[in-house]
Amino acid sequence: MRLTRGTGTSFVGGAERHASRSLVGLFVPVAAIGAVLALVPIWLGDSRLMMGLAIGGLLFGCYAIAFNIIFGSTGQLFLSVGALAGIGGYGAALLGDRVGLPLIASVIVATLAAGLAGGVLSWIAVRRSLDVIFTGIVTLIFALAFENLLLGLGGVTGGESGLSVDTGSATFLREQIPPYYLFLGLVLLYLIVHGLLRRSHIGWAFRALRDDEVAAELAGVNVARYRIYGGLIGAAMLGMAGAIYAINEGRISPTTFGFGEVDVVVLVMLAFGGIGTLFGPVLGAVVFTVLDELLIEFGQLRVVAYGALIIVLFLWIPRGVLPTFGSLLRRLVSRRDTRVVDRSGEEGETVDVT
Amino acid sequence: MTAAILDGIVLGLQFGILAVGLTLVYGLGGVLNLAYGHMAVVAALVVSLTMEAGLPAAGAVGVGLFAGGLFGLLLNSTLLRAVYRLRGEARVLLSLLLTLGVAFVVDGLLLWRYPTEALSLHIGGDAVEILGVPIRSGSLLASGIAFFAFVALFLFFRATTLGKAVRSIIQDEEGARLVGIDPNRMRTLILVLSGMLAGLVAVTRSMTSPVTVTQGISFTIFALIVTVVGGLGSVAGAFLAGILLGIVNTVSSFYIGTFLTYIILLGAAALTILLRPSGLLGVPE
Repeated sequence: MRLTRGTGTSFVGGAERHASRSLVGLFVPVAAIGAVLALVPIWLGDSRLMMGLAIGGLLFGCYAIAFNIIFGSTGQLFLSVGALAGIGGYGAALLGDRVGLPLIASVIVATLAAGLAGGVLSWIAVRRSLDVIFTGIVTLIFALAFENLLLGLGGVTGGESGLSVDTGSATFLREQIPPYYLFLGLVLLYLIVHGLLRRSHIGWAFRALRDDEVAAELAGVNVARYRIYGGLIGAAMLGMAGAIYAINEGRISPTTFGFGEVDVVVLVMLAFGGIGTLFGPVLGAVVFTVLDELLIEFGQLRVVAYGALIIVLFLWIPRGVLPTFGSLLRRLVSRRDTRVVDRSGEEGETVDVT
Repeated sequence: MTAAILDGIVLGLQFGILAVGLTLVYGLGGVLNLAYGHMAVVAALVVSLTMEAGLPAAGAVGVGLFAGGLFGLLLNSTLLRAVYRLRGEARVLLSLLLTLGVAFVVDGLLLWRYPTEALSLHIGGDAVEILGVPIRSGSLLASGIAFFAFVALFLFFRATTLGKAVRSIIQDEEGARLVGIDPNRMRTLILVLSGMLAGLVAVTRSMTSPVTVTQGISFTIFALIVTVVGGLGSVAGAFLAGILLGIVNTVSSFYIGTFLTYIILLGAAALTILLRPSGLLGVPE
């Protein structure tokens, strides 16, 4: 592992390997994840509560993948994950209920609005050349302002008690099991989008600017443009997930998209799974949804456990569980047969200077 | 209007002191302490508990400030050790993430053990009239303490060798090291000072309105806003920005409303970052 001095995020991520271009390597694991998660309703389908939790888990999987594109791939610390999803959620609810747009149209418009907001945040950060911390502070300010706007504009947003969403109330979105598959489809779609991005020229640019911004700029990568792409794509994904969730849940409030309720959780999930990895966000989301349910009887002590976990993760395994175990495994293998590593090095597949 | 402005100054002095604790730690160690407000809340809780145990208020406040300082010392000698090993952006990012974890741990523990505990100090005596506006004795004492703390801080940083040593590190860590200043000792000192300042603000706030255990995050956010507007690492900037934002806060909540006021304060911080990233009185890099 080489720690670049130039970029602030490299110590948490940096585990991202040079992805192979083969599509089999993308679709096989995605299909496997889909197949395993598709079995969940057979096991939990009888309980409305459990299905609700499972859908929540998938929603956070979507959030984590989207945040990963923004933070993991382009090094922009967006502390407004919940707010961007909230633009999608409140946008879709208001467009559907108040303006009277059809369901699909309101989701699309809300998604675009969130993407635009993310793109503008990125643009500001890039134009003012804000570093990681100032990007974090500006987006946090945006998130807090959004939350207070929701509270303050009670006439439109229902204030603290929130909105009940009528759009979609007669569709399959309000049934017990079908929405689970919709969200599972969304997770798989997001994984494929991220996987394809990594295999495209955008992915190469992402890796270059994340590893060493100055070197990337010198090599002809338009760092500013690719950062804005990252913010735009990630925020649109956040907005879409938020919009569909609002219609599915039928009830939204500021806490549905709050900083403490969304951003912190997504950060922990991503840090656990591995920032910058393709499948880490899904692993983190699954593990934490299960953990959250197991620890529910401990009440406030659960918050303590999460705090302690954040500390432990960033102190000892800042690269996340997936890459850490991956490199452990590789090290074991390479000890047995060093030629395997040499050959993969020649192919440009895995070059890991430990 | 006069009443709102005077109230704003009362609040602003305390905002300013709160921000000094955050801004010094950032300027000196490159550490953004998101558990900062929780230091204040822990100190308030300790004051409240020691008073319940029968100690007089002045003694309890002393114990509370000590607890705040201890919190800072503990943070500095455990988690921040790992943070100081990194440099530049990576250091700030790791400190931000680790202290976020600390904030959650403290929040969870306090809500689990002391969910309803709150500190409110009642200051006796009649209201005093200033410029035709009656000011409660609690507000007066709170402002007096905050103002005195500012004077003490200014004297410390301008007139004492120790204070100058701290400022030299803020300006240039390598340079300070070359002339024989030990950054580690100064960081310890400032972390302890920061915890005590947080505790002090919790105490003065409790003279006018109760400080509950859930207020940690809002203390941190206010400190962050004032710090950003005032300039990272600048005591004078924190003083100026504190008073300015304090006045904006009370005037705007009086005439416009609470939610929009909060958005105005946040907007001020955002605009500062975009237009003048070094803050009102910060040193441009």
